[in-house]
Amino acid sequence: MSDPADLIPVTVLTGYLGAGKTTLLNRILTENHGKKYAVIINEFGELGVDNDLVVDTDEEVFEMNNGCICCTVRGDLIRIVGGLVKRRGKFDGIIVETTGLANPAPVAQTFFVDEGVRSRTRLDAIVTVVDAKNLPARLADSTEAAAQLAFADVILLNKTDLVTPAELESVEAEIRKINRFAKIHRTEKSAVDVTAVLNQGAFDLQRILSDVQPDFLTDSEHEHNDDINSMSFELTKPIDPEKFNAWIGQLLAEKGQDLLRTKGILHYTGEDRRFAFQAVHMIADGDFIGPWPAGEAPKSRLVFIGRNLNRPQLRRGFESCQAG
Amino acid sequence: MSETANFVLDTRGESRDLDAFVVAAAWVGDKPAFALGDGRLVMADWREVAAHDGAILSLAAAADGFITGGDDGAFRRTPLEGDSETIAEFGLKWVEQVAAHGKLIACAVGKTAHVYEAGVKLKQLDHPSSVTGLVFDTKGKRIAASHYNGATLWFVGAKVDSPRKLEWKGSHTGVAIHPASEAVVTSMQENSLHGWRLADGQHMRMSGYPSKTESMGFTRNGKWLVTAGADTIVMWPFFGGGPMGKAPSEMAGGDNVICTRVAAHPQHEVVAAGFADGLVVLADIASERILPVAAPGHGSVSALAWSADGSRLALGTESGFAALVDLSKR
Repeated sequence: MSDPADLIPVTVLTGYLGAGKTTLLNRILTENHGKKYAVIINEFGELGVDNDLVVDTDEEVFEMNNGCICCTVRGDLIRIVGGLVKRRGKFDGIIVETTGLANPAPVAQTFFVDEGVRSRTRLDAIVTVVDAKNLPARLADSTEAAAQLAFADVILLNKTDLVTPAELESVEAEIRKINRFAKIHRTEKSAVDVTAVLNQGAFDLQRILSDVQPDFLTDSEHEHNDDINSMSFELTKPIDPEKFNAWIGQLLAEKGQDLLRTKGILHYTGEDRRFAFQAVHMIADGDFIGPWPAGEAPKSRLVFIGRNLNRPQLRRGFESCQAG
Repeated sequence: MSETANFVLDTRGESRDLDAFVVAAAWVGDKPAFALGDGRLVMADWREVAAHDGAILSLAAAADGFITGGDDGAFRRTPLEGDSETIAEFGLKWVEQVAAHGKLIACAVGKTAHVYEAGVKLKQLDHPSSVTGLVFDTKGKRIAASHYNGATLWFVGAKVDSPRKLEWKGSHTGVAIHPASEAVVTSMQENSLHGWRLADGQHMRMSGYPSKTESMGFTRNGKWLVTAGADTIVMWPFFGGGPMGKAPSEMAGGDNVICTRVAAHPQHEVVAAGFADGLVVLADIASERILPVAAPGHGSVSALAWSADGSRLALGTESGFAALVDLSKR
């Protein structure tokens, strides 16, 4: 197993054309932070700054022949990461800009599925830039806009100067309906401190999960089934790993197409380390991370972002994984 | 173990720490070259040439020098004496694959392969998706490219191109042509190989690898396809009706360390193999005898190539170790 500290962090930038993705990218590249990034882009010409590590690529998404119907990966990324590691030590991170209409799933899944990519990089965070003015229209006329929000660890709610305070509140509420767990930064002209975007360690889950308050919504709350939604569950009794694996394995196999992201920190019975679990659709991954922070009572938390989430069913399923 | 395992290297080899990822090795006759991740090409007598502004991604031996592709978007030629020169520039696109057969040279950039003869552009070959492997056949008549959903086989000299499309669903990541052009084989994303018998299009499925095959090649007479990707050297029989329905032969390894590079000897039924821990061995196919060449410890083997007459072996690793071993009779 590779030491996480040796892995090259990868930041994925998603967002519709015109939302402010390229402005953010230029900001990251020009700001004086003393770090050097390799940038993988698809829409060159917009990038207005010099960076000697820019790779122009065609997004090539293909299905894995692994019997998993929704498992798609980015073939071009696998090759580019393989090429970049040959430069070893010459850059601090990789930024992948996706095309406006891209579904983030293939990018994210690439980091789970390909052994060469997994052994050399870690997906640091998916950063989604949205335009406060146009987001409601994009959510209405496309499915990708919601998927980009659902996958996000960090959301830049950009162009806040173009909307009224009331409109801003309402669009942020819409985002929260889809993804309650991402960090939202309100920005104008994508002006954000790069430390809020890069090196988030979001995929190590620790911070993002501890920031989130558990769900206090009731089971009877009405939800539109086709909409993307997010839910979290918490248990204080330890989890039986075998029961959890059996349950989550079956859940992902049956509902994986609807489950965009699943993440959790689990307290396994008799184990003093935390187990971090995450999945993109049906593709799951998990590993022990450090011990519970001093003074913090061990507990398990699991979050789902997806469509057709059945709260009572998920809660009962998770509860059935408790040991003893 | 390590003292004896290094015996051949110590008594018959010379080595250097090149301080950069050794991407590939090749020979023009008895002149070696190592292509490095920092753009240098290190040639005979350890002469260094700045070939690319970035990482070299691909290397091949042409008639009178080496050709390289880089992440600087350049396709370059480096003669045995003198500096590198540019054959073509492709801007921000990487030149990920190169191939050569005498005066015929080719590179792949994105979905397109560009073929040149004696420095003049001969043709441009378009594929449905990015080219992931590129190789000429032993006669230089045909060139094969791997890509998504299969491989394409082109006649280099055809006035009108009507390529043979070899189809199989999935992502194909590398390609080899049987020395008698009996078959084309590709490596795949899903830790397996696929092949097409050219006489009748019969599919060949070769699977069971624990990781991706990043290196493969036929023995000189085409009897065996030698492959990396398992913790042994895996060899598929291309005789007696194989590889269909036949189990592969395995040699060396067994230590749960993945074989990362193989190189079939240009004359004899002997294979050189490099492993992820730095071990390099020679394996004699008939007797199944193993001769260690370099002991583990110098980094994962990433380059392995025989000189044209098979008397010398070049090896390189991800951590920058490079060695030349003389195996000729003394």
